[in-house]
Amino acid sequence: MAETTPQSDAAQKNADRRIIIRTVGLKKSYLMKGVLTEALRGMDIEIFQGEFISVMGPSGSGKSTFFNMIGALDSPSVGRVFIDEVDVAQLTAEELAYLRCHKIGYIFQSYNLIKYMTALENVTTPMAFGGVMPDEARSRGMGLLDLVGLKERWHHRPIEMSGGQQQRVAIARSLSNNPSVLLCDEPTANLDLHTGQEILEILQRLNKEKGVTVICATHDHRMMNICDRLMWIRDGKIDRIADRSDVHIEVGGIDGH
Amino acid sequence: MKSINIADQPWLSMRRTISITVDGIRYRLFRASVTVAVIVVAVAFLMNILAESLIKRSVASNTRERIDTSRVIYNWSAKLSSPGSQESIIIEVANCSPDSDLYRETQRFAAMNDEDMAAFQTHAQKIVFIFDFFNSLDYAKRRAMIHTASGLEILNRLRSPENMEQFKLALSRIRSVHFDMSYDELDAVLAKGPEIRKQIGTIITARRKAIAVINKTLKGKTVLEKLATADGPFGDTIRQAGFIFDADQTAPLVADQAQRLLDILALEESMEERPTRQLIAQQANILPADVNVMMMWKYLDGKRFATRYLEKMQEAGITTEGLAPERLVDLAQGRKENAALLRAERLTLDAGKGVLGLGERLGWLLFVSMLVCGIGITNAMMMAVTERFNEIATLKCLGALDGFIMIMFVLESCFMGIVGGIIGAILGGVIGLGRMLAAFGVNFLGAIPIGDIIVGMLMSVLLGTILAAVAAVLPSFKAARLAPMEAMRVE
Repeated sequence: MAETTPQSDAAQKNADRRIIIRTVGLKKSYLMKGVLTEALRGMDIEIFQGEFISVMGPSGSGKSTFFNMIGALDSPSVGRVFIDEVDVAQLTAEELAYLRCHKIGYIFQSYNLIKYMTALENVTTPMAFGGVMPDEARSRGMGLLDLVGLKERWHHRPIEMSGGQQQRVAIARSLSNNPSVLLCDEPTANLDLHTGQEILEILQRLNKEKGVTVICATHDHRMMNICDRLMWIRDGKIDRIADRSDVHIEVGGIDGH
Repeated sequence: MKSINIADQPWLSMRRTISITVDGIRYRLFRASVTVAVIVVAVAFLMNILAESLIKRSVASNTRERIDTSRVIYNWSAKLSSPGSQESIIIEVANCSPDSDLYRETQRFAAMNDEDMAAFQTHAQKIVFIFDFFNSLDYAKRRAMIHTASGLEILNRLRSPENMEQFKLALSRIRSVHFDMSYDELDAVLAKGPEIRKQIGTIITARRKAIAVINKTLKGKTVLEKLATADGPFGDTIRQAGFIFDADQTAPLVADQAQRLLDILALEESMEERPTRQLIAQQANILPADVNVMMMWKYLDGKRFATRYLEKMQEAGITTEGLAPERLVDLAQGRKENAALLRAERLTLDAGKGVLGLGERLGWLLFVSMLVCGIGITNAMMMAVTERFNEIATLKCLGALDGFIMIMFVLESCFMGIVGGIIGAILGGVIGLGRMLAAFGVNFLGAIPIGDIIVGMLMSVLLGTILAAVAAVLPSFKAARLAPMEAMRVE
């Protein structure tokens, strides 16, 4: 494993690319039972457009807090988060809702589909929030379901689908307003190896074909095979960042392949 | 990829909001129906009490009217036999309306002009107010104020200064009693006492003269017997004597009721004879000595028995002229109706007090039940919010505004309020109607205020909905303020 330090030649190589998410001196602390707990202790990172980046780190490392920050779901104690060069801290509640709706697609570990909506309704709900007309939303939604291979099951409710299918619907939903960034919080953690592989392939395809920036928190080592950069978080700090080409990973094949 | 200019998130259309809310309720139908059940019970309780009090109030006024009509004969037979006491005349005058026959008749007997008569009535009303005040006191308090005086004696007694002092002293000591008339006004009433007394004396004298005229024409018959022909020449006699006796309406009514009373008396007398008594005993399967009037009226309700009873009357040598079996049945039914009226009067004694005819205690009970219902709804909505943490946070991640989440939950509660309100209002109305019909019997069907009940139902539904909406505000606010990062939490 050849290691590189942050801010190395890798960053220089990316200097001419557009920065989609940038954090400056990001710190977050919680007051829990009178004790100040520091979840993030100063993070500076630049994420480029069209990049597939994996974020790794043990639980309690501040990974989730980091995700909340760059997903505009929580505000930092100190420091700034820029999404597409917009300072998140400056936004009103309505503008934040707009940002979440149009700029970022969220994919959750437990899928978080709305239980009483069909697959298509799940996909079109963010469009409705964004003000898209129902007819257009419907045709776009069907297109997105087709993209993840679930066109035939548009009228099924989450309870009638397998975990992998639900996650595919969730991916289709996250794409509904053409976001610049996909934030995936351990998307394969609840899935078996084979289904997880399918999800990864879809994410990779979206990244390559549509140029969507994918930020993926994961424990899944297969992710390393498909990402551009890897980032390790430890104790609320960036432990290291590496290009995939610089990291040698040995991952066993999946059974049956 | 294009750069997006940040703008304000638009509001979701109401149609879409409602459709999402309804889908949500349908998905959690069981929980929703439990909440609806709470609302149903509360609204049904409200509507039941409302319907019962509305019906009671309406039946009460209907009963009073019918009873007044059925007692016209008693008024007239009393009036044609006795001039009445001073107190009864004061009460009569105080309570009659200026366009009634009685008012004009009294004016004629008193030989007063319109103005004097109006003043006389106002005065009579004040005196009645004083009577009512002392009648409402218990014996000890009354004795402390006016010793044992009653009626017009009270006014006489209070005219002496030392007795007046006693009254004022007692009144100031007994704090639970309030005399809602100023002492000046009381003095004015007392000062007018002799004048009033004189006026009443004139009325009584005039009445006595009129009664003397009537008595000359009786020729050995009773007033009641004569009144049975009040729609004929006897009516003219009454009018000539100075009474105001309306020939078109009052006269036939009085004549009919007089005849009824005579027939009833005749029948009750006939029961004392051996053959008729035996017939009733046979029918009831008891000894003739145990027979009473109630049994006779009970059996006379059937035409077959009435026919046989008439035969037995003839056998006993009683004249049955003008009596047919149908008449007997009719009389028996009239008695039954009368009994129902009296029962209704007794049952509705408490009606019509307070707001909407509800007493203070009932109003309080209703308030508490609504409060309990409101807390129940709040609790149910809190549970719903907690259960849907993940869903709410996810919706916020997808771009939902706080306002949308708030409206979604308030709407959900409103829908449950409407459904629960409608079911509850119908349920409560039907139960109230059923209970009142059971209590008063079907011959009060016409007295049921359908319009008022429907208005009451609409009000109940509205109240249920408002209650549900208000109860949902706090949980909805909690839901709206939920941080979107809760969606990241793995269950």
